[in-house]
Amino acid sequence: MAILQTKNLSKVYNPDTVPVHALRDVSITIDKGEFTSIVGPSGSGKTTLLNMLGGLDKPTSGSVWVNGEEITMMKESKLIDFRLHNIGFVFQHYNLIPVFTAHENVSFIMLLQNRSKKEINDRANKLLDEVGLGDRKDARPVQMSGGQQQRVAVARALASEPKFILADEPTANLDTTSAMNLLDIMYKMNQEQNVTFVFSTHDQRVIDRARRVITMVDGAIYKDEYRDVEEKAAS
Amino acid sequence: MYLKLAWRNLWRNKRRTLITLSSILFAVVFALFVESLERGAHNQMIDNMAKFHTGYLQIQDYRYENEHSLDNSFYFDEEFESAIISDNRVSYIVPRIETFMLAAGEEITRGAMVFGVDVSAEQKLNDLKGRLSEGRFFEPGDGSVVIGEGLAGRLNLAVGDSLVLLGQGRFGMTAAGLFEIRGLIKHPMREFNNQVVYMSIPDAQWLLSAENHITNLLITPTNLRYTDELARKFSSELEENEIIALTWQNMMPDLIEALDFDRAGTRVFMGILYMVIGFGIFGTILMMTLERLREFGLLLSVGMSRFKLAVVVFIETFAMSILGILSGFGVGSLVLLYFYYNPIELKNDMEELMLEFGFEPVFPMAFEVDIYLWQGMVLFLITMMISLYPTFKIFTLNILDAAKS
Repeated sequence: MAILQTKNLSKVYNPDTVPVHALRDVSITIDKGEFTSIVGPSGSGKTTLLNMLGGLDKPTSGSVWVNGEEITMMKESKLIDFRLHNIGFVFQHYNLIPVFTAHENVSFIMLLQNRSKKEINDRANKLLDEVGLGDRKDARPVQMSGGQQQRVAVARALASEPKFILADEPTANLDTTSAMNLLDIMYKMNQEQNVTFVFSTHDQRVIDRARRVITMVDGAIYKDEYRDVEEKAAS
Repeated sequence: MYLKLAWRNLWRNKRRTLITLSSILFAVVFALFVESLERGAHNQMIDNMAKFHTGYLQIQDYRYENEHSLDNSFYFDEEFESAIISDNRVSYIVPRIETFMLAAGEEITRGAMVFGVDVSAEQKLNDLKGRLSEGRFFEPGDGSVVIGEGLAGRLNLAVGDSLVLLGQGRFGMTAAGLFEIRGLIKHPMREFNNQVVYMSIPDAQWLLSAENHITNLLITPTNLRYTDELARKFSSELEENEIIALTWQNMMPDLIEALDFDRAGTRVFMGILYMVIGFGIFGTILMMTLERLREFGLLLSVGMSRFKLAVVVFIETFAMSILGILSGFGVGSLVLLYFYYNPIELKNDMEELMLEFGFEPVFPMAFEVDIYLWQGMVLFLITMMISLYPTFKIFTLNILDAAKS
């Protein structure tokens, strides 16, 4: 079942001066439960595509569909609410709220969704336990390592129970141990809870875990391949 | 949690927040001080003029305002007094008969302001007896006077000496009399101190051939807010007797104008202060906003509405402004209370200068609620206006640009 779809997606920056074709006629379909990497060299359009998928940027032409609903034509206020309930984000630079503890960072998204206090508290505790930070709930971002912050970011992304999670270079700033640890967590959630992940990355460690790898070059899809990674994941 | 977020954001850079709070605090304290000092000085001027000169509300012949002549005095008896005092908004009345005469000692003659007064009534209004520096007060009809220290000095007279008063009585009658100086008074206003002669009303009426007549009846309302309505009432009721009631504002337009002019100068000064403080606060808010654009972008991208984000940032500015203003009120109150009970007294040359201009060389503080409200409101409005900047920034923020910042 297609959870995410783009149709002839194009993005041109500076169309009136020096046009830069960031995306060229990109059409992809991502099904529920996929663990997909979008890879390619710098400037290939990975992040632009991810921004389009997350409704953070508008395409010059084409459309983005999430769970059968077109988001490219949505008004901003509706799109913000749509993101809140359907899309989880994990950013390269962790991007946690610095004045909140790990627990509060995870809770905040659910608060925006107007969930009950008890549900917020229980789910935040559960998610932090799942990412292995049950004992760091009261730590603020500045008191945590990069890997721990990124795990909180994953827990936060999962907190809103989104249809899928977009992760932009999630391991770029992490050492190998932290990166592998994070990937294990995301892989486990994908396997056990059928959470859909879409990464933009050029980190080989992430690529090795992805069951689908979409390679982009100059804003267009160069290669779209499905792989069997069970063995690698297990190893 | 929004409040928690705003509160913690406020303190994420403690030093900067404390500096901003201090600037608001300083502005509030300074503004309170300047405003209270000015209000206190103005109140004192008005009070002195009202208590010793015009009263807060005064009844007089309608011609008297333009022509201060004994010919324009009015008949005053117990019946008249009862009619006035029967209004329960009237606290007490102070009858006076006043005129200008020549006052002479053994060798020197000077112009004098002669007041026929009821000492017990004056005592209620202006603590006249408390101003006595030497001797004692007269009894009604005992042919003695109390004069200002300044006048005594000018005429080279002392308690026990005789004072000659010469002038014109009612309807052109010659007014001349010899009075014993029973006491000296130290008047806070130099102009009065150098000219004033007090005597009892019966003596004044005899001297001026104005039996049963007075020139002014001062009325003190139970509350000053009744002044205008009492003025309207008495003017209307006594119109057929050709008598009008005037408020102190009616009687001292020049003073009102001078005080307004003084206030305008202070407003300009305060305006400059507010601008300086305003730019200081704006600098902080600008920094707080710009360094958090990335965070704003994050919050918008994960689904926080621009409105909610703007509310959080508004709460931060609001909390900072309220904290600064309230702490300013706290510190300001201590300063004001100190100077309220220990007013600034000018000495030496400055004292002389103030007396020269007819002012008391003392700066009392006014301790009034509306000063707090006004100053607090102005600073609050300034900070609220400043908070429009981050609000505008949030509503026009491009999420991707913010994420790259």
